[in-house]
Amino acid sequence: MTDVAPALLAKHAFLHGLPAPQVAALARATRQIWVPAGHRFFEEGGRAGQLWLITAGHVALDIQVPGRARLIVETIGEGDVMGLSWVSAPQEWQFGAEAIQPTTAFELDTAALTALCESDPVLGYQITRRLIAVAVRRLQATRIRLLDLYSAPSQNPVAP
Amino acid sequence: MSQQVMPARYRVISSHGETHDTVTLALQPVGQPIPAYQPGQFTMLYAFGIGEVPISISGSPAGRDLVQTIRSVGAVTRALCAAGPGQMIGVRGPYGTSWDVAEAAGQDVLLVAGGIGLAPLRPALLAMLEARPMYRRITVLIGARSPEELVFASELDGWRARDVRVHVTVDRATAGWPGHVGVVTQLIDRADIDPAATRALLCGPEVMIRLAARALCARGVGPERIRVSLERNMRCGIAECGHCQLGPLLLCRDGPVISYQRAAPLLAVQEL
Repeated sequence: MTDVAPALLAKHAFLHGLPAPQVAALARATRQIWVPAGHRFFEEGGRAGQLWLITAGHVALDIQVPGRARLIVETIGEGDVMGLSWVSAPQEWQFGAEAIQPTTAFELDTAALTALCESDPVLGYQITRRLIAVAVRRLQATRIRLLDLYSAPSQNPVAP
Repeated sequence: MSQQVMPARYRVISSHGETHDTVTLALQPVGQPIPAYQPGQFTMLYAFGIGEVPISISGSPAGRDLVQTIRSVGAVTRALCAAGPGQMIGVRGPYGTSWDVAEAAGQDVLLVAGGIGLAPLRPALLAMLEARPMYRRITVLIGARSPEELVFASELDGWRARDVRVHVTVDRATAGWPGHVGVVTQLIDRADIDPAATRALLCGPEVMIRLAARALCARGVGPERIRVSLERNMRCGIAECGHCQLGPLLLCRDGPVISYQRAAPLLAVQEL
């Protein structure tokens, strides 16, 4: 991994409030990346081994549907976290991801991150809590979208 | 005159299809026009021989035409959407409360629209653009079902060119869509605002309004600084029939625009 200044890493919302020594440990498992628009971060079914903390730009999570254009599942931007599939078996990406704008991020190697969390349970607890918070927010947002709030009112014969 | 119950006759000047089921009509009076209106107010539009429905005004109060945006969801709205140039429509109003955009002077303004909820917010935005230096940052956050179901899509770049931040998120999109995919509350979380100096105007499905208002409160925007536009079954428009009752309010008179501080406890009551 290349050097990432812990002070810079600590500014990301995902790590807000984490003690400096723990941020410094994470920084050693992190590299800073820049990718152009159109860059594919990963593909559905690939081995999931990275976690990205987006610092600028815009990324689309997508899925291939046979016979149709790729569907965008969700977009992710500054301050967001990308890449949760490594957390549980089978550690395979469930979607693809493509930068739709030039994007910068901190990229964490999840094998190193897992080792850090296992050697420091306090850090492990913090990372776990934060990942759960991300997953909960995404679950809630998905549930709202399932409501299809903007659809036309049901075929009510007395609708005006 | 705002208490009028007889519709004024208006002629359709133009009809613009916004989406597959939503149309914007420009109308001009044949004879006596309705009184001047404020952003956020609505009229009762009458499709002669079919029925009458409440429709928000979507044009500028300073404009020559009365502009209204209608979604086809039933017999009356279907007839209104099908009305072509030259056709006559009955108009009563204007009714209800306004966004009171003057109150936001000197502050940041955040407009949050869901679906056709952008229509009643558009007059507020146009009024602020008429006096752009009076307002600080103006941000418009729009949620829509898909890029194809976005109303006033052709105007967004023009708003951006007039120093308005416009962000759109949709529930579903295919590759190539350059905007966001997700719920509008996620845009609120990312919006660059000064919560203590922000006025927020919200319009859309009621569930979206509740969630957006909560997200704004979580950002530190006080409920008294949030105004919401609510919809109930408006019939008479003059607070006589009671169809649009929401607790102690008759929304055709006391609404549709009310403060979130006042709306929040009412929106939490299942029976209302």
